[in-house]
Amino acid sequence: MAKVAYYPGCALKERSSHLDTSARDSAVRLGFELDELPTWTCCGAVPPVSEERVMNLVAPSRILKDVRDSGRDVLITICDFCYNTLKRTNYSIRTNEITRKRINAFLADDEPERDYIEKKDAYWVDYTGEVRVVHLMEYLRDEIGYGNIREKLKRPLSGLKIAPYYGCVMLRPQNEIQLDEPENPSIIEDFIDSLGAETIRYPYRTECCGSYLSVSSPDASTRLCYRILTSAQQHGADAMVISCPLCFYNLDSRQKAIAEAYPDFKPIPVFYFTQLLSVALGVDEGRQGFERHFVDVAPVLDMILQGSGKGDRT
Amino acid sequence: MKRIGVFICHCGINIAGTVDVKRVAEEVAKLDSVVYAQDYIYMCSDPGQALVREKIRQEKLDGIIIAACSPSLHESTFRTAAEEAGLNPWQCEIANIREQCSWVHTDRKKATEKAIRIVSTMVEKTRLNESLEPIPVSITKKALVIGGGIAGIQAALDIADSGHKVILVEKESSIGGHMAQLSETFPTLDCSQCILTPKMVAAGKHRNIQLMTYSEVEEVSGYVGNFNVRIRRKAPFVDWSTCTGCGLCMEKCPAKVPSEFDRGLSTHGAIYIPFPQAVPNKPVIDRESCIYFKTGKCRLCEKTCEIGAIKFDQEDQIIEEEIGAIITATGYETLPVTELQEYGAGEVPDVIDGLAFERLLSASGPTSGEVRRPSDGRVPKEVVFVQCAGSRDPERYRPYCSKICCMYTTKHALLYKHRVHDGQPYIFYIDIRTGGKGYEEFYHNAEQDEGIIYLRGKVAKIFRDGDKTIVWGTDTLTGRNVEIQADLVVLATAVVPRESTAELVKKLRIQTGPNGFLSEAHPKLRPVESINSGFFIAGVAQGPRDIPETVAQASGAACKVISLFSRDHLEQDPAIAWVDEELCGGCRICISVCPYDAREYDEEKCIARVNEALCEGCGSCVAACACGATQQRNLSDSQIKSMVTASLGGE
Repeated sequence: MAKVAYYPGCALKERSSHLDTSARDSAVRLGFELDELPTWTCCGAVPPVSEERVMNLVAPSRILKDVRDSGRDVLITICDFCYNTLKRTNYSIRTNEITRKRINAFLADDEPERDYIEKKDAYWVDYTGEVRVVHLMEYLRDEIGYGNIREKLKRPLSGLKIAPYYGCVMLRPQNEIQLDEPENPSIIEDFIDSLGAETIRYPYRTECCGSYLSVSSPDASTRLCYRILTSAQQHGADAMVISCPLCFYNLDSRQKAIAEAYPDFKPIPVFYFTQLLSVALGVDEGRQGFERHFVDVAPVLDMILQGSGKGDRT
Repeated sequence: MKRIGVFICHCGINIAGTVDVKRVAEEVAKLDSVVYAQDYIYMCSDPGQALVREKIRQEKLDGIIIAACSPSLHESTFRTAAEEAGLNPWQCEIANIREQCSWVHTDRKKATEKAIRIVSTMVEKTRLNESLEPIPVSITKKALVIGGGIAGIQAALDIADSGHKVILVEKESSIGGHMAQLSETFPTLDCSQCILTPKMVAAGKHRNIQLMTYSEVEEVSGYVGNFNVRIRRKAPFVDWSTCTGCGLCMEKCPAKVPSEFDRGLSTHGAIYIPFPQAVPNKPVIDRESCIYFKTGKCRLCEKTCEIGAIKFDQEDQIIEEEIGAIITATGYETLPVTELQEYGAGEVPDVIDGLAFERLLSASGPTSGEVRRPSDGRVPKEVVFVQCAGSRDPERYRPYCSKICCMYTTKHALLYKHRVHDGQPYIFYIDIRTGGKGYEEFYHNAEQDEGIIYLRGKVAKIFRDGDKTIVWGTDTLTGRNVEIQADLVVLATAVVPRESTAELVKKLRIQTGPNGFLSEAHPKLRPVESINSGFFIAGVAQGPRDIPETVAQASGAACKVISLFSRDHLEQDPAIAWVDEELCGGCRICISVCPYDAREYDEEKCIARVNEALCEGCGSCVAACACGATQQRNLSDSQIKSMVTASLGGE
């Protein structure tokens, strides 16, 4: 089975471990293995939005250089923040010579200590952005092919109406990310389509969920998430699909606060794209970590299970 | 030894503010051959030029250097002055101490040193300059105008009226361009068709204008005064010489093609005339959508045509013409709504562009001038106009201002209000730009008295919700976000150059700027000429502009052509390449590097010659020539060597 280098990031190891599990399960069903890097650090997450132009790129550069040094040229990530951070770091290194030199100076300076730990004896070669950072969704679209996913479905999600939600960092800034058109994307819609479900078009799919405002002014995030979730429901959605752990936190866990602030609000289950993929590919629904969801997924899960009638239990 | 005079211009404070002009005069006066050096506040003024002339005579100067602005500005001014004083014009050189020195430096001491070196460099050149005579070139007094919009029509009429022949080439089957699509024109609200069609008819009938519609320029070779042009006349599959334009064939044609002229708001057959006032009023068959061409069956039009004008076997014709000057007036397109992702990407039916709204307003349009929205034909009660849709947006779309949108959007809102009295127009804008005669008054009236709501801010998103089109925007004056449930949205999409213009400029070898619009020779002083001689430009192909400006520029371009044609022969700058026939080995490297096709091989003598009429004196072949056979007049190797030495400080 083909192994592809995989960077999970912090969220997938803890709060969103069900995103990690479902991704790994799905990959196996689709014929490849997410091969977690033997050592990795924090990607830096928020620093890309800071004013500092180089220091915040050191950690992600080290990750990318390690991948390159291991002889691989593709790195899959799933968390939108990790994807954004790694990809933008790569972009800076590829396009800005001064950044590239400074980063490599830092990495080289850091190398002897790491040698001591890891017993590396490879000759130093500057990292120049050789590794291609790929979002798992992008890998599914471009390498596996949505058509092939459709063929491997054990439980097509027919009849299910799903609202895609993009969030912010998966697509922006466009010139650096180049995954899809940020104002009018289609990658999640096409993904939903490949699972046999129906896509719900609603205007808030690319609007902000509040991101880290969740910490500093949770009310703002509550208001934004209320609008996103309500609009999706008004347009007929049974469920929402996302890929970002922070979006998941805001759109799922925050539904408690939303219900308190807005009496008319009705809950709606939110899924990671990998969970729906994994279930549709026939992986046991017990492995999806649904117990970690704030909103009960049972109604939607029932629809899926009844829809196909049989599940290929793993 | 030559007697050289140096004249140093202050250019007010443009030069003297940064460069110590007195010191420059003192220093260069010490150079060999320099017998006179003087500064003056405005050398290009009458007294300044008089000083130059006087000193040439008095000091018996046989070479002069004007240390001033760029030669592209005043070289010809001073060469003429020199000639008036009996000096050969090629003995006058410009030392550019403004653009290349005072304007770009702040350190007075260093700038002065640099100015001295620049002048010394030109002294070295002038010391070895030869006196040259201009090369006479014959001229074909027939113009080619490419593009049959208002710019091309106006230019063609002006040239034709002066008695010279004009070929007016238009890609579509009728002339008229975008102006024919417009309803009424700002700020006077005259009907666009009413003021345009008389000009179209005049151009069609003028004895000096040869109209070639449904035609495209294939190839241009030659040089100013002597171009050879190949024009492709596309087969209309209708014999225009016998067709009476009765229109029966168009009624019978079963194909349905979205009308480009009506911006897709109506359809016509595969055989069609784009609009009723077309000139010439003859139909063409669109090969792509004709049922006969697609399936081999139908030929209904042929059966209908009593005079047998339908000719399915017609083929494209290639016509060759000799031309003296070419005006490019290829006009514009607007950024397609499909490219504006945040505004529905063309998927929301009631989001249309300004030209489509013109068709809705036009009495001859698909709704006969009633404003009805495309989705369900209802009269819209809330209409949102979005300015700068794709303009002034360097990150996502076009960086420039499309210039005409502020005015036409105000006009749109006004005309809408005149037709739908209980309707509410909103206009989102960044700034309102009303530079033009009567423009501000027009806007002021609309804003004050017509009940149009102006919202200063950008629209973030447009999407469809039920039968409404929702507009999310921001009003930066109140600092609030705005949501409008609109019935119709009109986008003032960015004005962009035509895609075909990019192809055409390659054939013509003229230049475009970073946004794809045609480049002028000088943005202020030579706005209707291309850098390449013999090529002129007019209309929006050069950059966004309105009708009056387009017409003025077209007349300007025509005037340049007429002035060119008023001469018996042209004079070519003799400071070009020449070949020492003794040295040339016939390797032909020069031919491969020449960007102007000016180098040709002489089979008999086995050497490479210079076509003096084509050579622009760029120096490419001079640099490429391995054996030193090709030399540039007044830029010989020894001149360049001593110039380099002087520019490095004389060491």
